[in-house]
Amino acid sequence: MPAQQHPDKVLRFTKGERISHWVHAISFFLLLFTGLGILSPLFLPVENIFGGIQVARIIHRIVSVIFMGVVGAMFFIGDTRYHWEWLKSVFTWTKADVQHVLAFPKEFFGGHGNYPPQDKYNGGEKINSLITILGSVFISLSGIIMWFAPSFPPALVRWAYPVHDLSMFMMATALLGHIYLALLHPDSRASLSGMLNGFVSTKFARSHHALWYDRINNRQKGM
Amino acid sequence: MTTRKMVLIDTSKCTGCKACSVACKEWNQLPAEKTQLVMSYQSQKDFTPKTWTYVTFTEKYENNKMNWLMRKAQCFHCADPACVKACSSNAISKTESGYSVIDQNKCIGCGYCEANCPFGVPKVDQVKKKSFKCEGCIDRVENNLKPACVKTCQPGALEFGEREALLTKAKKRLAEVQKTHPKAMLYGLNEMGGTTYIYLLLDRPEVYGLPANPQIPASLFLWKDVIRPVGSVAFGGAAAAVVVGVLANVMRGAYRSKEEGETGHRKGGES
Repeated sequence: MPAQQHPDKVLRFTKGERISHWVHAISFFLLLFTGLGILSPLFLPVENIFGGIQVARIIHRIVSVIFMGVVGAMFFIGDTRYHWEWLKSVFTWTKADVQHVLAFPKEFFGGHGNYPPQDKYNGGEKINSLITILGSVFISLSGIIMWFAPSFPPALVRWAYPVHDLSMFMMATALLGHIYLALLHPDSRASLSGMLNGFVSTKFARSHHALWYDRINNRQKGM
Repeated sequence: MTTRKMVLIDTSKCTGCKACSVACKEWNQLPAEKTQLVMSYQSQKDFTPKTWTYVTFTEKYENNKMNWLMRKAQCFHCADPACVKACSSNAISKTESGYSVIDQNKCIGCGYCEANCPFGVPKVDQVKKKSFKCEGCIDRVENNLKPACVKTCQPGALEFGEREALLTKAKKRLAEVQKTHPKAMLYGLNEMGGTTYIYLLLDRPEVYGLPANPQIPASLFLWKDVIRPVGSVAFGGAAAAVVVGVLANVMRGAYRSKEEGETGHRKGGES
């Protein structure tokens, strides 16, 4: 493990995971802002940044291919094991996850909630991941139907619109909390480096993800 | 100009001459399009951004007798229009006289109106990126002129007037027509809240390819009346929670103690 090179740090996210995260993040922002003009005429001036609503709709389609294609492909070409482990992990719920979620509101506002040791992803992170995964799948499927509307039954196209909007609202709402916790929350913002260079401090790993930290530590000792 | 108008399309008088379609193109300066025979004498399959009205022809055989059913198709100008509700850009509005009109300056060509209209009327021009449909000759009717199609109709199948007066006339005419066509009915009295263009049909609406019970799609209600408002409140709530979270941490001195050192930070977090 590369962690050996940094005694006070542990590798949380591999390069492949970080590429997936940032491709998803940047393309989501571009899709969100190029899509705002059709959400409400109030946001039409935003589209001037892209050169008008008609240019924005083309950018929206080009970026959607990156949004769907690159992250989808990373499950097969970039540190694939970690991608699948993440997917499996967020669909596996334990009592400790639920207890973290229950204590989370207090944590969110800067208090200290009581919850048992957490794995690599805590209950809150699993919810964020689930919203992102389900939101991405549904926004992609509905988007494909809207893009190629003449090839689909009209009723299906009509249902794609609310599904596309619902997915957007879910992901945009989760994103606000995600950015706050990553950049502005005094306790959890220590995790940001994990998505920048891959490493988090041993101290952070031990206090926030003890189950995971102990497991990778034991694995190292066993080797 | 605030009274509600109405156009009666009496299909029992229609001869299928298609002059309405030509008059529409002339007044609205729409170019001719290449047509081909669809069925019977019908030469236009559907609405296009450049064809806002056309005549459908149905040959129905019953008891060794042919019923030749013709219907001039155009926007119904619903009292409760799906297109207005679906429009992403507030480009489609309703006039007090009963017409749904598209403001081409506001239209972005998203196609939501096209997808949600139960009659499939609006069509988006994929080059201009604008949606087009029958505007009911709003410029004419609001200046006390008949719509171009009504003005040109030679057999008198089209009639324009004040809604209340024309409705009474339509019901009288229906009673007359029902003597020879027992299935005859008025279509548009209550459909979509009551339409401005009302038909006297000789047969059931399905025979003419019209929906028996046209409605605003349920998906459109879910989208505009549930997901949009609830989603906006959820997003606003999350934004408010983040602001409160930052303020709570500032008041706890969480950011300051973080800079002072790790021990101070833990205390700050636990207080």
